Amino acid sequence: MPEPTLLKPDQKFINRIIKSGGGNIKKCFQCATCSVVCELSPDRRPFPRKEMIWAQWGLQDRLLADPDVWLCHQCNDCSTHCPRGAKPSEVLAALRRESIIHHSVPRFLGKWMNDPRYVPLMLLIPTVLLGLALLLKDPIESVLGFSKQTGERIVFSYSSMFPHWLLISFFLFFSLLVLLAIIAGVMRFWRAMKAADARSGMTGPAKGLRASIIAALKNIITHDKFATCSTERPRFLSHFLVFYGFIALFVVSIWAMTAKYNPLIYSSFAYPFSFWSPWRILANVAGIAVVIGCLLMIIERLNENKKAGAGSYFDWAFIGILLCVVLSGFVTEILHYGRVEPHRHIVYFVHLVFVFALLIYLPYSKFAHMIYRTTAMVYAEYSGRDAEAPTAAAGKKQEGEKEEKNKAEESKE
Amino acid sequence: MSGNGKKGKILVVGGGISGISAAIEASEAGCEVVLVEKNPYLGGRVVQMNQYFPKLCPPSCGLEINLRRIRTSPRIRCLTTAQVEKITGGPGSYKVTVRQEPRYVNDLCTACGDCVDACPEERPDEFNLDMGKTKAIYKTVETAYPVWYAIDGDACKGAECGKCVEACQYSAIDLDMKPGTHELDVQAVIFATGWSPYDATKLENIGFGKYKNVITNLMMERLASDSGPTAGKIKRPSDDKDIESIAFVQCAGSRDENHMEQCSGVCCMGSLKQTRYVREQYPDAQIYIFYIDVRTPGRLEDFYAEVQKDEKVTLIKGKVAKITEDSSGDVEVEAEDTLSGNRVKQKVNLAVLATGLVPADLSSIEIDGGLQKDEYGFLTGEQPGLFSAGCARRPVEVAACVRDAAAAALKAIQCSVE
Repeated sequence: MPEPTLLKPDQKFINRIIKSGGGNIKKCFQCATCSVVCELSPDRRPFPRKEMIWAQWGLQDRLLADPDVWLCHQCNDCSTHCPRGAKPSEVLAALRRESIIHHSVPRFLGKWMNDPRYVPLMLLIPTVLLGLALLLKDPIESVLGFSKQTGERIVFSYSSMFPHWLLISFFLFFSLLVLLAIIAGVMRFWRAMKAADARSGMTGPAKGLRASIIAALKNIITHDKFATCSTERPRFLSHFLVFYGFIALFVVSIWAMTAKYNPLIYSSFAYPFSFWSPWRILANVAGIAVVIGCLLMIIERLNENKKAGAGSYFDWAFIGILLCVVLSGFVTEILHYGRVEPHRHIVYFVHLVFVFALLIYLPYSKFAHMIYRTTAMVYAEYSGRDAEAPTAAAGKKQEGEKEEKNKAEESKE
Repeated sequence: MSGNGKKGKILVVGGGISGISAAIEASEAGCEVVLVEKNPYLGGRVVQMNQYFPKLCPPSCGLEINLRRIRTSPRIRCLTTAQVEKITGGPGSYKVTVRQEPRYVNDLCTACGDCVDACPEERPDEFNLDMGKTKAIYKTVETAYPVWYAIDGDACKGAECGKCVEACQYSAIDLDMKPGTHELDVQAVIFATGWSPYDATKLENIGFGKYKNVITNLMMERLASDSGPTAGKIKRPSDDKDIESIAFVQCAGSRDENHMEQCSGVCCMGSLKQTRYVREQYPDAQIYIFYIDVRTPGRLEDFYAEVQKDEKVTLIKGKVAKITEDSSGDVEVEAEDTLSGNRVKQKVNLAVLATGLVPADLSSIEIDGGLQKDEYGFLTGEQPGLFSAGCARRPVEVAACVRDAAAAALKAIQCSVE
């Protein structure tokens, strides 16, 4: 018989969940309708019923080491069918937010990202850093002997303001910092999940790490999980548009920034791109896809049935910054064709601030769902999370997990 | 109380177990009582039951005695196929309008049944929850009071057919019978309007109405009852197969803000009772009960403990949120066993939904100042002069209804004594 478990409820944690979207959590009476109606939930230890009681009890350690929180794609099937209006989908969203903040390195940045009071500071930081880079541009160029970019083919080139060598080195430097933060966060999360599984007596991986990663990526690329949701079918489309639009924009940006130094480039793809360059067409289409996707998300959230909830500041901030990035990009492009001086350079600078903000806050904002969801999906494959459970009713004839039973008794008190 | 001691007149709305009890109590204390019942028979929901819990005795026992008390009482006037339309006035002085629908059969009926053989038309058997049909002229229920048959005006072709009139030797059938109204002066009113089962077709996930082998608890009562469509043999509806496994699905619509928020209080005991019906007919059948909480207050806990001892009864703590059917007609009920933390998919021959008690809709009655209801639609019973009893007031079992009826009768008597 396993040792009895001493639970340590964390009231502060409960209050944070209640404040950030999980306001109805105490209404849950553990009927487990949610675990059954969820199309994504596996048969063995399904979610989100267990997460609901863990959250009611403030069992922070379990929740933050729980991959299931991230296997939820917030279809809202659970909240729609919940007989108590406890909104499990909102609680899981709040838990994901907690998870990002908890695992991110350094942690205070995550806290800032979840608090609207820090918006000015969060915008000031990238502005100042980019401004500094601009100030340092001339001294560095003269020291290193770079030629001034005045003799370019296009007189009004943006690169005269922010030369590509500077863009590359500046963004590369911060990308490396972000990458380190991501790796640290992923390691924290992975270790926590492994430790939790070890505590509950689960042994050994079910799959190799590589096979797990491939399986998870396949899921992400096809948006398989999204497509299984029934209440929120439109989410599949909006996320699909934003996801692929964003990837395309990312690739084009990298290509454009490095074009000058890329030996593979031939005349037809030469930088700067002409209006009908396939790269520019791709970028414009992708930009439009992201804008449409974001607008769909906003419409969905505003029209969301009352049972699901409209999301929190954390979600809205991410949609907001994505839209700012793409829209400021479009304005920059339009002003470029209109030769509107000097506003276009100011707009371009604003655009860079947004892009930079998106990058440096990646591990701390909702953007980090990309990291943690992927990690959790890989871990789910790796640990055999989705394995089939025995389907017959066990009930009183079989001893249920003692630990769960003890907890159930405690909950009665 | 001071006064001349003259007993007044009380109106009891609803002729189920609560209404019958209240009427008897008030009349035996000396009051005049008018008992209004919308069905063509007295007894209400209780008559549909196979057995009472926890003693597992048939409702007819208690009911027969009470019906005899009503029959022999000089002070009770029964109006069946009748509904209250309007109540005006205040405590101590109400004017009531009652509309009585034609029964088309008068008090000369001897319940010989010749008319049924002659009748060519059929109607869905409402009393058996549409499991089967009756003729347009039909015997209302076994041990019916009044004993007279009734004709369903919607199904009957009327005078153009007239075969029953020819067949009846007692001139008991009058196809030209018209609706009538009764104007009553009463001092107090007792609402004993009871309940109806929650409409299970609204539970989209669990397939009632879509799958034949998903039935409600009330249908189970009819299947188990000797007077039911299967003469008391529990078989599954799709193919009359014997039961090897059965699942009871608790809180089907109850305790659910998407359906009815309240706990109906009696469905847990109802299902525990029905496991006994199944066990009696099928000693080897596997029985599964899926529940959120088993609510068996007070002494009823003993009954629960007895059922738990049954080796072939499995209790699973988790609400059924999905039911699917396979080609053999078996149904798979799905829940999370919250004690083990794993999802359970259990295939069974028959699933019984424990649908809850919805208070009667009284919106068609015109009342000065309206009726006070609680958040779930039950009457508060706190209005002077307009009292309530039994399931009109809160969802309770028969024994509590009877006690409640006595309490309501006393209040009504106090209100009616001058």
